[in-house]
Amino acid sequence: MRRKTRKMVYYLKKTLVFLLSVWILSVAVFILARLTPADPLQSYYGERVEKMSREEKELARGKLGLNDPIHVQYARWAAHALRGDFGISYKYRQNVTEVIRLRIGNTMLLGGLGFVLTFAGAMGLGLLCVWFEGRWIDRIFCKLGTLVSCIPEFWLSLVLILIFCVTLHWLPGSGAYSVGSAHDPADRALHLILPMVVVLSGHLWYYAYMIRNRLLEEVRADYVLLARAKGLTRGQILFRHCLRNSLPSYISLMAVSVPHVLGGTYVVETVFAYPGIGTLAYESARYADYNMLMVLCLLTGVTVIFCSMIGQIVSERMDPRVRGGEELETSEVARI
Amino acid sequence: MTEKELFSVVGIRDGQAAVSSGKKARKAMPYLSLFLLAVILLGCLFAELIMTRDPSYLDLANSTQGPSTEFLFGTDTLGRDIFSCIWYGGRISLLIGFLATLLSTLIAVVYGSLSGVAPAWLDALLMRLDEIFLSVPSLLVVIFVQAALGKNGIWSVSVAIGITTWCGIAKVVRTEVRQLRDSGYVVAAKLMGGGFFHILHRHLAPNFISSILFMVVMNVRSAIVMESTLSFMGMGLPLETVSWGSMLSLAENAMLTGAWWIILIPGLFLVTVLMCLTNLGGWLQSRLRR
Repeated sequence: MRRKTRKMVYYLKKTLVFLLSVWILSVAVFILARLTPADPLQSYYGERVEKMSREEKELARGKLGLNDPIHVQYARWAAHALRGDFGISYKYRQNVTEVIRLRIGNTMLLGGLGFVLTFAGAMGLGLLCVWFEGRWIDRIFCKLGTLVSCIPEFWLSLVLILIFCVTLHWLPGSGAYSVGSAHDPADRALHLILPMVVVLSGHLWYYAYMIRNRLLEEVRADYVLLARAKGLTRGQILFRHCLRNSLPSYISLMAVSVPHVLGGTYVVETVFAYPGIGTLAYESARYADYNMLMVLCLLTGVTVIFCSMIGQIVSERMDPRVRGGEELETSEVARI
Repeated sequence: MTEKELFSVVGIRDGQAAVSSGKKARKAMPYLSLFLLAVILLGCLFAELIMTRDPSYLDLANSTQGPSTEFLFGTDTLGRDIFSCIWYGGRISLLIGFLATLLSTLIAVVYGSLSGVAPAWLDALLMRLDEIFLSVPSLLVVIFVQAALGKNGIWSVSVAIGITTWCGIAKVVRTEVRQLRDSGYVVAAKLMGGGFFHILHRHLAPNFISSILFMVVMNVRSAIVMESTLSFMGMGLPLETVSWGSMLSLAENAMLTGAWWIILIPGLFLVTVLMCLTNLGGWLQSRLRR
């Protein structure tokens, strides 16, 4: 019984921290959005603003509540936001949520699949490097990884487009599907190849390198000596013991790296004109569509905070050692 | 059985001695990287001596010319000489890299030390804030700050990049300071009435500088990447301010005509610099590892 309450308190605490983080984020984004020089009237009325007299403008400002102090404005915005009303997008003249809903699937496909592939691939590569530690396979992968991770994502995208679309005409270079075949899976997959390659190459190596180093430490631990003396084979030791021991730190690394994969997806989407959240964020920043930018910032922030929290919980559950000090390897990831 | 064979049973691979892990071989000094970096740096610093043409002159009659003896690296879609632009623009790319890193390191050191010497509750609060900041994709924050700052120039881009990339370093500084703050000399300095910045400057910074040096070098790298990404997307430096990123923002037009040199040449310089910085950072890290 007591254990149960303790668990409840634990999850309650986590939820509270999560909500608090989201709240701080929303306040920060709100204040930033209000500091921007763009005129909200312009976004609301469009070109009609030019013809309005000063009195009319004042009246409109009052009607929109722009003359209230900022905390009142925030309270109003929050009340609307809690009911799911985030305002209208200036560029699309539609509800922000509506515009996002149409595009979020594309980003989930690119980002989600990219994320899964990155970590599965990194695991495979890391294991391969550990298995052949110090031999040419290991050394080639390490060198190649350093080289590829130095190439900025947007430039790699450009070069790939130049090679595979402009010169060879093998693959489509922009969009998520050809006109008229939005529901054709083969066509979609074809459009996904190049962006996916860029997303993968941006992250795969780094995480493969991380898991390689982590495993190399593990392989030299004392229990490996015991397992070896017991007569276990290399495969058994590597997969049953070493891999399992390094898994918690790998999972928390996965969780904290969500922002980096997401951020990378944004750039890639923009270069490939892939209709997703990234292109939307880019457009809204360019055309001063602040309602939209605000929601996108919040959306990303919430996803990221949520993921890092999940990562924390998972690694705490899997590895009792983490429970004491909750030092995640955030700083490790930040080095990228 | 010799001593080596005795140990060779250990470890995942036969013939791999477990005892050797203690003394990892130091990396050799990256002479090639240093040399290339020095060449590019000097070339950019003394761009006026190397440039064959005025980098801002729009020679529209000769736009999109391939590399030739007259235009060593060709010309871009606006008719600017790419060879001259590389050196002239590299100066700005590197400058932004350094400025942004300087700013972010300053913020990180002050924030991290403050959090390190603060009482537990303030420390926890500051670190949560740091995590929130770290959690939002920095590209998004830069876009936001850029939008808020309004005009795009070298300073605003540097500031935008600088204030979004300090979180990682701040975390390391804080951990280091927490270990240092109770050591005798810090307490003594405090007792003698030393202020926060005095202690930071004289006692704390010399101790943690080696552990953040690698991250600082990596920050120069990511700042350069971010500048070029932003400029490429049209949100960083405008086209008139030549940098490697803004040169690449012409790529879309170049793509249509298949003008590979407009895309490949600035990018290659960019990648070379990034590669050299990575090697340099790795070497520094292996040297300073305690």
